[in-house]
Amino acid sequence: MKAVMIIFNQTLRDRIEFIFDRLEIRGFTLWKEVQGRGSETGEPRMGTHTWPEQNSAALVVIADDMVDPLLDSVRKLDALNKEIGVRAFVWKIEQGY
Amino acid sequence: MSIYKSAVDRPITTAMIFTAVIVLGIYSLVYIPIDLFPEMEPPAITVMTVYSGANARDIESNVTRPIEDALNSVEGLKEIRSVSSDNVSVVSLEFSWDTNLDEASNDIRDVIDLVQDALPEDVERPTIFKFSMSMIPIVFYAVTAEASYPGLEKILDERIINPLNRIDGIGSVSLIGAPKRTIYVEADPLKLAAHNLTIEQIGSAIQAENRNLPSGNVKMGMIDYQLRVEGEFAGSAELNDLVVSHFQGKSVFLRDVATVRDTLKDLSLVERIDGGKGLRMFVMKQSGANTVKIAREVKQAVNELKKDLPPDISINEIIDTSVFINQSISNLSETMLWAILFVVIVVRFFIGRWRATFIVMMTIPISLIVSFIYLFITGGTINVISLSALAIALGMVVDDAIVILENISRHVERGTTAREAAIYATNEVWLAVIVTTLVVVAVFFPLTLVGGMTGVLFNQLGWIVSITVVTSTVVAISLTPMLSSKLLGFRRKRKSGRFSHDVLIEPLHERMSAFYERIIRTALRNKKKVLVLSLLVFAGSLSLLSMVSVEFIPEADESRILINAECTTGMRVEETSSIAKRIERIIRSRCPEVQVMAISSGADDAGSMFSMFMRTGTNIINAMIRLVPVSERERSVWEIMEDLRAQLDSIPELIEYSVSGSSGGFGGQSTNTVDVEIYGFDFDITTGIAERLREKIARIPGAQDVLISRKDDRPELQVVLDRKKLAENGLNTAMVSSALRNRIAGLTATMLREEGDEYDIVVRYAERYRSSISDVESIPLVNHLGKTIYLREVGTVSEYWNPPNIERKRRERMLTVSATPAGISLGDLAGEISKLIDVTDLPDGVMIDVGGAFEDMQESFVDLGLLLLLSLILVYLVMASQFESFAMPFVIMFSIPFAFTGVILAMVLTGTTLSVIAGLGAVLLIGIVVKNGIVMIDYINLMRDRGLELNEAIAVSCRSRLRPVLMTALTTILAMLPLALSTGEGAETWRPMGLALVGGLLFSTAVTLILIPVVYALFCRLGERDKVARVRQKFTFLDESTKV
Repeated sequence: MKAVMIIFNQTLRDRIEFIFDRLEIRGFTLWKEVQGRGSETGEPRMGTHTWPEQNSAALVVIADDMVDPLLDSVRKLDALNKEIGVRAFVWKIEQGY
Repeated sequence: MSIYKSAVDRPITTAMIFTAVIVLGIYSLVYIPIDLFPEMEPPAITVMTVYSGANARDIESNVTRPIEDALNSVEGLKEIRSVSSDNVSVVSLEFSWDTNLDEASNDIRDVIDLVQDALPEDVERPTIFKFSMSMIPIVFYAVTAEASYPGLEKILDERIINPLNRIDGIGSVSLIGAPKRTIYVEADPLKLAAHNLTIEQIGSAIQAENRNLPSGNVKMGMIDYQLRVEGEFAGSAELNDLVVSHFQGKSVFLRDVATVRDTLKDLSLVERIDGGKGLRMFVMKQSGANTVKIAREVKQAVNELKKDLPPDISINEIIDTSVFINQSISNLSETMLWAILFVVIVVRFFIGRWRATFIVMMTIPISLIVSFIYLFITGGTINVISLSALAIALGMVVDDAIVILENISRHVERGTTAREAAIYATNEVWLAVIVTTLVVVAVFFPLTLVGGMTGVLFNQLGWIVSITVVTSTVVAISLTPMLSSKLLGFRRKRKSGRFSHDVLIEPLHERMSAFYERIIRTALRNKKKVLVLSLLVFAGSLSLLSMVSVEFIPEADESRILINAECTTGMRVEETSSIAKRIERIIRSRCPEVQVMAISSGADDAGSMFSMFMRTGTNIINAMIRLVPVSERERSVWEIMEDLRAQLDSIPELIEYSVSGSSGGFGGQSTNTVDVEIYGFDFDITTGIAERLREKIARIPGAQDVLISRKDDRPELQVVLDRKKLAENGLNTAMVSSALRNRIAGLTATMLREEGDEYDIVVRYAERYRSSISDVESIPLVNHLGKTIYLREVGTVSEYWNPPNIERKRRERMLTVSATPAGISLGDLAGEISKLIDVTDLPDGVMIDVGGAFEDMQESFVDLGLLLLLSLILVYLVMASQFESFAMPFVIMFSIPFAFTGVILAMVLTGTTLSVIAGLGAVLLIGIVVKNGIVMIDYINLMRDRGLELNEAIAVSCRSRLRPVLMTALTTILAMLPLALSTGEGAETWRPMGLALVGGLLFSTAVTLILIPVVYALFCRLGERDKVARVRQKFTFLDESTKV
């Protein structure tokens, strides 16, 4: 079991949900509005007058073999336009209920 | 749930809501009446009282004063004026704005009932009209006839006037120059004396014969017959054979001592229409009624009723005030269409996609239509002001939609789906959009608070622009995202065609932006120079201010000319009429532009309605001319008037004349004159002052038609009786005066009844026996004993002078000297005249006031000044709170003075005078100018917050904001351009506003683009970045921890 957290520009929400459907990932958790900025080039997404855009975050817990297809889809999504911004991070799940 | 998200998620609901708005708006539009200006005439009521036989002084003291005193306490009364002239007293009352005319007229009726007892016995009951004397009749008809001419009055009265009076809102319908059939029995006094007869005897003989009397019943057999004596004359010819008395055993027939003339009543007014016989019919509307609506109904009714008239009678319009109104409004509407077209072109040029242009354009009809709903609900009219308001708003309603749309397209171009881009992009900018709208509302809303006459002009404008702009914002954050989500799909890069936007226009934008960035960088290096240069330009423009002349409301070419000319006082109507014919010939030969002309000379019956509106008198000539439409002639109405003035100067008999082109700005409420009001009781003193003032004013270059409202004293003949001699001869004053009246004015003996109508039979001396003082002195009077005494035995006839009319205002006698400016502005003329008055010495009890249009103008400009101040304060408040800074608004407001520089330059270069309307345009500039400033400053702030260094931030922002600023400015400028360039009916009214706005905007946009960034660089060195840095200096905890 792996947890994947995807942080994305909120305008990508429809496409992220589409990816989950396509990969038959049923369970996920979504934060509609989160703020932050990228480590290297990512523009700040603060929801302020200066930086008006905002991000959303989705957390999915999936089987190990699903991680690669998911990251692959995210990479393809990012490739459409680097400016919009989407990142995914994976970590291990010890236990679940 | 935010408004834009709901709109995007429920596109059909959104579409339906806006469709509903459009449908309601169109429905309203159909029912909104049309007028030239918003209703700005205050409610007015006129009380007219006839007291036959009294002269002006008698009328003043016996009728006018008691009525004035009584009416003074009526609620809501603002001003009371009166004119007392021979036979008639006219008291006009002006009420404050919110007065209900019906209630006021009821109050007046009550007061009149009370005062009636205090008036002399012979006074007729006062008549109350719901309109003011100063109002111009809305429609004039010329009626001409051939065979039916003698019976014309009766025919018109029955078939036209009575039905017309039933139309709602009509004040009255009256005739001028109506012929009246009268039968004159004109006696020869010598023959009367020879047969021992008097006028009274002839009168009673005629009266005694003209009788139908029932004489009881006669029962014969089974039937009861009624017995009647039928003595009434069947025709006027019978009169000749009437036996009036017996003399020396022979019958004396009427024809032996008098001639019977069955004719038209003596001429006292000669009316000629296009050179032929005719009469004028005119229609007055009630105070506050809609001119266009009533004129339309009247015309429909007249066209219907015309069919029943005898075929030789023709009715033609001379003046229809609604034509000008309709033409002005349609002209302005056409101008609006051009403006919309220009805005579309500008938007297409900058946005580059038809679909996007369509989305932006959708805000225009919706925003404009909402203002129609507002007009419908508040009972407003479509008029020059409300349409100008729409034109002003036109350039602004697209701005918000453009900002939203640009952000959405930016997201879409990045590859976001249209739906999500629509929601999130709107979310990013909607607050900024609302704030800029608030700024505009801050400028326009104060307009709705102005009171008085100026208020009427501006309130509607303020409301309409505020409502329209707010609506456009609502549309921009609901309909625009919804339409974008449907129409702005992601475009794959196609190959651009040779003439596509990308190939032709995009590089142009790029070059423009790059060029502008270079200018800004240069300016930023030379901040002080730029600042000094700008201040010099501003100071220079202020020095030009003296070249701008001021007026109230620009005069418009209404295609009509009114001439009022006066010959020597007391001139006979026949003489006046021949001069009138000469004037007619001059007009015919000099002005091929004349379409219809009616010219009248002399005065109508004493106490007629017409005398209320125009100066009448046997020596006065009134002409009314309609010209062909503006587009069909080369000379303007002013050129033609100038020409006519030169011609009239060459007629020596005319002692005074005025030629005016319009009924005056607002439904005749205020004309474009400077009125000097002279108050004082003594006629000689005040008239003397007025005369001297007139001479001085006439010497001012540019003062024209300098007129004194009090007419010259008129010669009157007065019979002075010696009471002692009267008593000795068994006579008294009453007997003498009635005998004189019967012989000269005539004794109405009886009526001739023909076909149900009655015509007066008047017995009097033939004219040649009553046309000199000695004739009058030779009039024989018969006393109780039957002895004949001649007038000269008991009295003398002498000539003396009396004023023919007495004007009063605020219950004091007054007269006005009025002057019309020509080639000089109203303000300048008033200034010159005020100087003259200041050096005039006034005797005790005399007061001088400068009023007229000048007074209104001054009040309006004071109001405008206050308005400017209020707008500035409000705009500052809004901006200070938006930027959360005290300094930032000043940087933006720095561009405002330069807007006025632009206005002054536009006025000077085009030679336009600064009217209240142009001044209004200047006030409106604040909103638009400030809006552009905000766009710039906001973006500079943004860039600095994002970490750019000051000058870099300015340069980058300027480059990026050039397009939106140019687009906003250009849409407004181009929307105003058709207004500024328009010609044709009524264009004179709105052209100055268009010019003021275009000039002001061009200049201030240039200033915004260069000066604002420079001023920003000077005043706002410390940005948000520095503030944050200062706060962070206090966070020393990290360093402290290392120390421990």
